[in-house]
Amino acid sequence: MKLPELKIGSFIAKIPIIQGGMSVRVSTSALAIPVAECGGIGTIGGSGIPVDELKEDIRKAKNATDGVIAVNIMYAMKDFYELVMGSIEAGADMIITGAGFSRDIFKIGKKHNIPIVSIVSSPNFAKLAEKLGAAAIIAEATEAGGHLGTDKSLRDMFPAIRKVVSKVPLIAAGGITNGVEMAEMMDNYGADGVQIASRFVLSEECAVADEFKQAYLGAQEEDIVLVPSPVGLPGRAVKTPFIQKMEQGEDVSAKKCEFKCLKKCSYKYCINDRLTAALEGDLENGLFFSGANTYKMNEILPVREIFDRFVKAAEAVYKEKRVQA
Amino acid sequence: MAVEAKMIDIIVEQLSVDKEKVVPAASFVDDLGADSLDLVELIMAMEEEFDVEIPDEEAEKITTVQNAIDFVAKIQE
Repeated sequence: MKLPELKIGSFIAKIPIIQGGMSVRVSTSALAIPVAECGGIGTIGGSGIPVDELKEDIRKAKNATDGVIAVNIMYAMKDFYELVMGSIEAGADMIITGAGFSRDIFKIGKKHNIPIVSIVSSPNFAKLAEKLGAAAIIAEATEAGGHLGTDKSLRDMFPAIRKVVSKVPLIAAGGITNGVEMAEMMDNYGADGVQIASRFVLSEECAVADEFKQAYLGAQEEDIVLVPSPVGLPGRAVKTPFIQKMEQGEDVSAKKCEFKCLKKCSYKYCINDRLTAALEGDLENGLFFSGANTYKMNEILPVREIFDRFVKAAEAVYKEKRVQA
Repeated sequence: MAVEAKMIDIIVEQLSVDKEKVVPAASFVDDLGADSLDLVELIMAMEEEFDVEIPDEEAEKITTVQNAIDFVAKIQE
């Protein structure tokens, strides 16, 4: 049967898919616009870029679509508040935040009447986020790409979070690659929607270098590994020469800190440099964040086609057999 | 002293640690085993007990027992 809409605050996504925010500059308006046009929530990755650049990109997206445009900002960023306030000023529809836990953000959300969506990986933080006023909660498991807050798989982690979130939509994230899994999470696990990121890197519209997409396409299951991030969390990425060097104990640190972007940085390597190198297609030096199941995907498709396939596969099995929370 | 005694009680309760361990120099994370959720809940308990508002930026600086006592003492001056 037909998939339900996803309502967050006063915003309605016709298709209950949030495109996961990917920084630095992996998910820009180029990707968020077509996602929003298809009825999902298009998310601009707001971490690691100048506030003015982010604002301009949000305005570009908002001018181009009537769909829902979110911005994802890591709490670990030193300029978290500037990025949040800039996003609100530029007209973002909602703020999605994770990688650390801000309480102030909920006050800002209330004051400016903008929904705050929290990414969490445990029932306790889910409960806290709901209590503090989150408009929706994304439960993100270890299969996700980028920074991780848990080593639990989605299907192990989700039920306990489902039990404690009762007032706002709960979205499942981490390793979902197709509509069958989407329907499974919604039917059998009671999710109100899903967040998908890596699948959208393999879209025609995603603005990363072709080498980035080829790195995804060429990755086998064992090539997608955990890597320590200077943010202080593990990250999941494609094993490239940079990661091999780090594993072999080579010094991969930057000569000096150009960005001063994180509240706390381990300085093991410069994450901004490495993510930017990936964006530009530098297979030797780049850090290619990736979900654990990227190896299952083998085609670059238009965003519209990704949506059509997800919806078709999901609706073929979706029955709204909601689990009892 | 009132602040200090109250603060120690809150920390003992929130982090479920022995009172003897809650010395001024103790770090919540390194010495008292607090995780990220414990830290948020501890700050919220402080807000409630002392009727203060602790923004994120201030909360991040409160990493030891002494920091916590100093922060509340300063606000209550």
